[in-house]
Amino acid sequence: MKGIVFTEFLDLVEEKFGLMTLDEIIEKSDLPSGGSYTAVGTYEFQEMLQLVTNLSAVTGVSVDDLLMTYGEHFFKVLEKSYPHFLEQYQDPLGLLSSIESHIHVEVRKIYPDAELPKFEVLDLTESTLVMMYRSSRALYKFGLGLMHSTFAYFGEKAEIEAEKIEEDGSVVKFSIHKI
Amino acid sequence: MSDQEIAVLKRALQRERLARKKAESILEQKASELYDTSQELKKSNLALQSLLREKSSELKGVFENLVDAYVVMDLFGNVVKMNEAAEDLLGFRMEEEEVNLMSMAHPSEVDRVIQAFDKLMKEDSVANFEVRIKTLRGESKTVHINASLIRDEQHKPIAAQGIVRDITELMQLQKQKEELLESLGRSNEELSDYAHVVSHDLKSPLRSIDALVTWILDDNKETLDETTLANFDLIKQTLEKMEQLISGILEYASATSMDQKMLAVNVSDLIHGSIQMLHVPPGIQIEVDSGLPQVMCHPTKIQQVFQNLIGNAIKYMDSDAGQIHVGYQERDSHHEFFVKDNGPGIGQEHHQTVFKVFQSVSPKSSSSGVGLSIVKKVIEFHGGKVWLESVPDKGATFFFTLKKDL
Repeated sequence: MKGIVFTEFLDLVEEKFGLMTLDEIIEKSDLPSGGSYTAVGTYEFQEMLQLVTNLSAVTGVSVDDLLMTYGEHFFKVLEKSYPHFLEQYQDPLGLLSSIESHIHVEVRKIYPDAELPKFEVLDLTESTLVMMYRSSRALYKFGLGLMHSTFAYFGEKAEIEAEKIEEDGSVVKFSIHKI
Repeated sequence: MSDQEIAVLKRALQRERLARKKAESILEQKASELYDTSQELKKSNLALQSLLREKSSELKGVFENLVDAYVVMDLFGNVVKMNEAAEDLLGFRMEEEEVNLMSMAHPSEVDRVIQAFDKLMKEDSVANFEVRIKTLRGESKTVHINASLIRDEQHKPIAAQGIVRDITELMQLQKQKEELLESLGRSNEELSDYAHVVSHDLKSPLRSIDALVTWILDDNKETLDETTLANFDLIKQTLEKMEQLISGILEYASATSMDQKMLAVNVSDLIHGSIQMLHVPPGIQIEVDSGLPQVMCHPTKIQQVFQNLIGNAIKYMDSDAGQIHVGYQERDSHHEFFVKDNGPGIGQEHHQTVFKVFQSVSPKSSSSGVGLSIVKKVIEFHGGKVWLESVPDKGATFFFTLKKDL
């Protein structure tokens, strides 16, 4: 997993829960990196899983909610780092429907070893988008947070339904309706 | 600040420090990778530049050394590039004048040039376009042009290129050849007509002499002595010989007349046809090989060849057990036929002369002396050769060939 996902996560934890909580979850986790991350590095997904699980245990906030909040926050990182990329899109459905066909294609050019989830477009109309999410990481809540932020970025609102096709969350059907 | 807070801060600081070092090492590695890649790129860039220079120089060489004129025009027909051969042919230099295609077209060819240029634009190329031009020096020339459109990477036409060949001389030669052939045809016809007229004109006084001699004989039968009668007989024989010679001229003159078409014929049929036309005395056996080929020829002419050769073998046969053998041998590019006999044979000194007109070797009166010359004329007309092999008193063999791809 790319280092920027870790550094941004730790920054957010420190901002929301303080340095003590951040130190606590790092100390509680068994991290090969020792909790020392750089945005340009690459780290085991397992480390993120432990950090999120321990944060949930310490704060009492569910893992799902934590991931969704992090997803909402992470969009700001993308907005800051790749503004010209977002400017190519006129509306949120256009952006979301081209994750697989355009965005991930470009991501792979910069990070050939990136392990990316799959987003298959099942249906796209003026106001709705149905996509199938597939990832062994089962981080669909993170994705959901990103989607919410996408609509906020364009100043629009949507109802997003996430239906688990696989119980573990590795296959999820997103049905997005613009309001 | 509590000890715990100090410990947390220390750990946080340690983590940040480690992260920084890690980042530095990663960036260091990336920088080194970038450097390597940039070096590689530089190298391949140099290689590409040198390749480009090499190819450009090759192309320039081809362009300049092209024997034919090479011209590049824009899409409006303005000449934008040309080689030396083109400058020589068209009579101007790029640096000195701006020239459009239309200004080079001969006034009578303007419409055709416009049509050809339209075709080039629509169909991408024009092949074997022959047209008259007027060079800037004012000379009229005939040129042969192959042209094509040049397109850019988006497949948009950007220019047109053409190879222009001066065929003025070639066309003149072609014209001369045609005129020569026509005049040759006319002379041949005149010659043939002449032969007909001459033979007819010569024969009528002969017939008059013959009639007069017959009357003199009839009127004076009683009074003429033996010697005079014998002389009259000689006159009549000589007249007959004369008549044969004149017929021979006519036959020879028409031996290769082109009235008939070339046909694929079975040679066996031709040989048997010619034997039927001949009187074969009882003492002579004629053997014809089987498995003779089909050949492309003028059938009646080749039948005449066999008739003459077999006829000669019969005519001069001096043996009581005459044997005539007509055979065949296949050669790479030719069919080879022969007519072999066991007659008196022909001396070496006559092997060339027998094929000449009126060169009969035999004193026999029935020989007109044109038979073998007709054979030679017909065979040569068919692209073949005729020759003979002979041992005096043992017989003679006449060979001739016919080209396979007629």
